[in-house]
Amino acid sequence: MKIIVCLKQVPHQDARLDIRSDGAWIQEEGIKFEINTYDTYALEEALRIKDAAEAEVVVVSIGPDRVTQALRTALGMGADRAIHVKDPEAEASDAIGLAKILAAIVKAESPDLVIMGMMSDDGNFAAIAPMLAGLTDMPHTTAAVKVERSNGTLRIDREIEGGAREVVELRSPCVIAVQTGINQVRYASLKGIMAAKKKPFDVKSIADLGLGGQVGAAAVKVRIEKISPPVKGERAEILEGSTQEIADRLVGKIKELGLL
Amino acid sequence: MIEWSEQHRMIRDAVRRFVAAEVVPNVEALEHGDMPPYDIFRKMLSTFGMDAVAKTRFEHMLARDRAREAGEAQPDRESEGEAGDRSDSAAMQLIPIIELCRYCPGMVTAVGVSMGLTSAAILSKGTLEQKQRWGLDLMTLKKIGAWAITEAGSGSDAFGGMKSTARPTEDGGYLLNGSKTFITNGPYADIIVFICKLDEEGVAARDRKIVTFVLEKGMPGLTQSKPMRKMGLHSSPTGELFLQDVKVGPDRLLGGKEDSRARSGAKDTFSLERSGVAAMALGIVERCLELSVRYAKERVQFGRPIGEFQLIQDKLARMEVARMNIQNLVFRTIEAAGQGRRLSLAEASAMKLYSARVATEVALEAVQVYGGNGYMSEYPVEQLARDAKALQIYAGTDEIQISAIARDLMAR
Repeated sequence: MKIIVCLKQVPHQDARLDIRSDGAWIQEEGIKFEINTYDTYALEEALRIKDAAEAEVVVVSIGPDRVTQALRTALGMGADRAIHVKDPEAEASDAIGLAKILAAIVKAESPDLVIMGMMSDDGNFAAIAPMLAGLTDMPHTTAAVKVERSNGTLRIDREIEGGAREVVELRSPCVIAVQTGINQVRYASLKGIMAAKKKPFDVKSIADLGLGGQVGAAAVKVRIEKISPPVKGERAEILEGSTQEIADRLVGKIKELGLL
Repeated sequence: MIEWSEQHRMIRDAVRRFVAAEVVPNVEALEHGDMPPYDIFRKMLSTFGMDAVAKTRFEHMLARDRAREAGEAQPDRESEGEAGDRSDSAAMQLIPIIELCRYCPGMVTAVGVSMGLTSAAILSKGTLEQKQRWGLDLMTLKKIGAWAITEAGSGSDAFGGMKSTARPTEDGGYLLNGSKTFITNGPYADIIVFICKLDEEGVAARDRKIVTFVLEKGMPGLTQSKPMRKMGLHSSPTGELFLQDVKVGPDRLLGGKEDSRARSGAKDTFSLERSGVAAMALGIVERCLELSVRYAKERVQFGRPIGEFQLIQDKLARMEVARMNIQNLVFRTIEAAGQGRRLSLAEASAMKLYSARVATEVALEAVQVYGGNGYMSEYPVEQLARDAKALQIYAGTDEIQISAIARDLMAR
């Protein structure tokens, strides 16, 4: 069995974010990056399948040099092989461009399963998994909170509104996009980190994937115009009095706003 | 080495994640409650596979010893393997120390004494049988170790003023008496390396041979005190040991014979302990600097963040200089390991002296940057300042480090 895990490297949750001079993204120089939280759960899910059965786990990421660290961390945690798509054209792509890149890799690798996080911590588009499934003609599901395997079929619990769960069955090969918190993500062991250095690590360009002209800045359909920091509130109201009085007034305020 | 490698950073990130999840939420219980530090560290060992690495190292060591006893030539331990692997292995030991000391230097002290000092004493001076009996349990923290040298009347002059004795008995064993104090892990130790003087007829107290024994919890006549109250390092249980006619067989005499090399044995152990202190200091300084910079940006006085005042900037700049210097000393330790070279006692002393002094200075300045808040236990710099001070006292006081450095200079 072969599993592809798609990872994105995103700014570290403690990083100080400043907006770039063109206003369209944050300044990425000098800040720390980490693996997208959603994707760490996807990787853990893949590694659990590997632990329970024979499986090769291939991690894939698109991005500049810094992405190497995310992929090596995944290798340190137990993935077997990494593919790094490193090309300025790839980085300039929108969601469909990125999905095309991943689709080219998926077609070349023919995995039994593709797992990824359902969205990224930074972009929040939640677009890649359905697009990739569409481009590769594979069944897919999103917001997976439980993954069970039996004989080429995957039984997935999806999270739907109000905490309810929907159970779907997918035939392999398929694409699963996972929700956060579905497992306890392991730590890379020291031995694993030492071994990661020696595991296969492929670097590919857009030309290598035969996608010249089809992705990148020229092919972009969705462009981020502007990002802005959250607006700071003008005033705060401090409720005073005994605990009971504060609680009563708080409930009154919430009712006033029609929230209760 | 001028920067951490990608691999080192991966180890650091993984350990940092563990510390955030397992240690940080428990700092209060470790420092001010009744939670001993051992279980969290055991979890860390198994999470990162450090116990398996220790087991492999132990087995190689024993195989080498057996071969040596059988008369086969063996390569020197330090020069074995690839240079890169040797420096990585040193870095793997130092990075968790740095990361833990950002939050809990006491835990490092307790565990370091058990897994480092106590196990090193047995593994470097013990007989093959003794290494087999106690070595692995100490290296993997299955058992807690204590290294007992200090007494009420003998601190820096450890051997000169030492009163604990071992009196040979007719059956070839010994009767041990005396008391030890400030013993890290004393209250919980399962295995105790006890250093004392051989009580021989006609030999003046100062000239008596130094002998070392390995004791175990529960032996008749051995009492382990409750944890003592102290200024800092509350996560590290410190206690007293009382020995009253503790009867031991010759199998517990470290190294199997009463030779006087025990003095130099203890000195090798000092060297190891001293270079570890630089890594501890780095963790403390890194965190104090980060906290101070953050606070200097957030704290507003006279209508401006205090980081805009030059007197605060001076403190931050000095902290950064200290961080760079100590980090370079840690890099030097890693490089030396890569070259198969162990730091000399004088070198290790110089590192320890500088790192400990500077860590205390930086931590106290961090308290100053935080002002009144910094003096309150609610803010972490208060704990780090109390903890840092111990680095100037244990593992040889600053004054002892200075004499070791000067002695080495004068002997050139």
